[in-house]
Amino acid sequence: MRRSRKQQIAISEAELVGMTNDLEDAHHETLPSMRESLVEWSDSNEDIRTGITRLVSTASSRRAFLFGGGAVLGGVALAGSGLGNGLAAAATRSGLAVPAAVPGQKLTGDLAVVALAASLENLAVATYQAGIDAATKGSLGEVPPAVVTFAQTAQSQHKDHAAAWNGVLTGAGKKAVSGVDLTVKKSVDKAFAQVKDVPGLAMLALDLENSAAATYLSAIGVVKSPAGIKTAATIQPVEMQHAAILNFVLGEYPVPDAFAKTTGARSVKDKVG
Amino acid sequence: MALDDTRLRDLLTQSHDLHSDAMETTRVALDEYVELAHDEPLHDDSWADVDPVTRRTTLLRGLPKSGVLAAAGLGTAMVALLASPAFANKTMDVQMLQTAASIENLAIATYDTALTLDFIGGASANAVVKAFVQKTKEQHQQHAEAFNAAVTRLGGKAQDQPDPVLLGVVNNAKPSLTGPAQVVDLAIELEDGAAQTYVANTGTYSNKNARIVTASIMGVEAQHVAILNAVKALLAGGAADLIALPPDAAKLPAAAGSVGFPNAFYPTTDARPANEGAMQ
Repeated sequence: MRRSRKQQIAISEAELVGMTNDLEDAHHETLPSMRESLVEWSDSNEDIRTGITRLVSTASSRRAFLFGGGAVLGGVALAGSGLGNGLAAAATRSGLAVPAAVPGQKLTGDLAVVALAASLENLAVATYQAGIDAATKGSLGEVPPAVVTFAQTAQSQHKDHAAAWNGVLTGAGKKAVSGVDLTVKKSVDKAFAQVKDVPGLAMLALDLENSAAATYLSAIGVVKSPAGIKTAATIQPVEMQHAAILNFVLGEYPVPDAFAKTTGARSVKDKVG
Repeated sequence: MALDDTRLRDLLTQSHDLHSDAMETTRVALDEYVELAHDEPLHDDSWADVDPVTRRTTLLRGLPKSGVLAAAGLGTAMVALLASPAFANKTMDVQMLQTAASIENLAIATYDTALTLDFIGGASANAVVKAFVQKTKEQHQQHAEAFNAAVTRLGGKAQDQPDPVLLGVVNNAKPSLTGPAQVVDLAIELEDGAAQTYVANTGTYSNKNARIVTASIMGVEAQHVAILNAVKALLAGGAADLIALPPDAAKLPAAAGSVGFPNAFYPTTDARPANEGAMQ
């Protein structure tokens, strides 16, 4: 990725890198509790399967989750810069097959939510990869080094999230989801085709992060498995942190809402492939 | 400093508008409390959808594993008490909500104190940091109101006092608040503690709406942490001038892009005990 040459900063990069490394260590300390949660979930596979019909506890919450998808990324119009074509290729390079079928696998209940979550994470990974590729080619103009670091770190964390959700699926004897949310991908492709600079890419990423966070918040209200709730609860705040930094980079107030929203939450009706 | 005051005011106004939309989620959850409060008498065992392991873990969070209390056998007695069905009803939800409210109360008081410091709320303050502190304090006020509304709808008493243990941490830190960096450090400790507590509690509530209210707040505290982490890094690097809206992104150091969100999964190791701020 081509970095900006305008680095006139009176700051100790070494100090910041050191702080980042400390925080990276802290990150690894959080993984054991995540693993415990996932093991717990795997141990309760039978509960998940039998609890499918009890997935949603009220009619209103069920409706909200199933049909709450709304118009994510709907504000972006079609254009033909060709960047959109890079998304599928980037998805393949990042280890995601697009379209990746989940053949012969009909998931319902909590596991359908898990598959949706994995597909959204996969889409985020692919989109960040496409952005990184576009920046590397110089398609986005000068790219600030902080933006490079952000994209790489956020992408890495989304990979971790996808792996966590897929661990639940395989632990339940299902196939991992290697594909993306195709319903959202349509919007992402349209939006990505218009991306010509860093702010444009940041806006697209912000939409994805907000949508993921909203989906997790919705899921917390409908998922039956306690381990599933805990897993979603450890991921939703991280997506919101990504959104906060993106807001800041875009010059928007970084914490605009006192309460997280479910607006833009995706539905288990979304096509995954 | 690169600050557009008009732009900042606009953003804060927009933020207020957006907040009204976001409140809808919480309002719906709180409204459903009324129905549930009527549907579920207090003596009902409402833990049906929370596994015993999760409940026990949360109940025992913060209990002494060694030391005077454990030696006195209080730990064992507490385990027996907490494990009893009579205790394991809405009382636990109310306690967690009261603890959450107490953490919010402390955050409000701490930001209030910070705003009295010249380098945070006075003439020498970075305008963006000052605006952030003011806005964040408002958001914590809204969180406290939401938690207390939930408490009262579950039949408990609103908690208007600060978390007693964290209050000690804040009081101990006050003399050392000699500059923005120290205030940011303290704010990170409080915000991260709140976020971790809410993440942990979200997996524990028996009442779905208590869970949703808490879940709608945990991510916001995590966002506060992310921004504070970034501010801390810039202050530590002597780059306070880069704390601006919009920032000069080109000048931001590479590490500033990731320092705000170090964990792929939000930790819960520093979550506060579920009943730490509960009313006696």
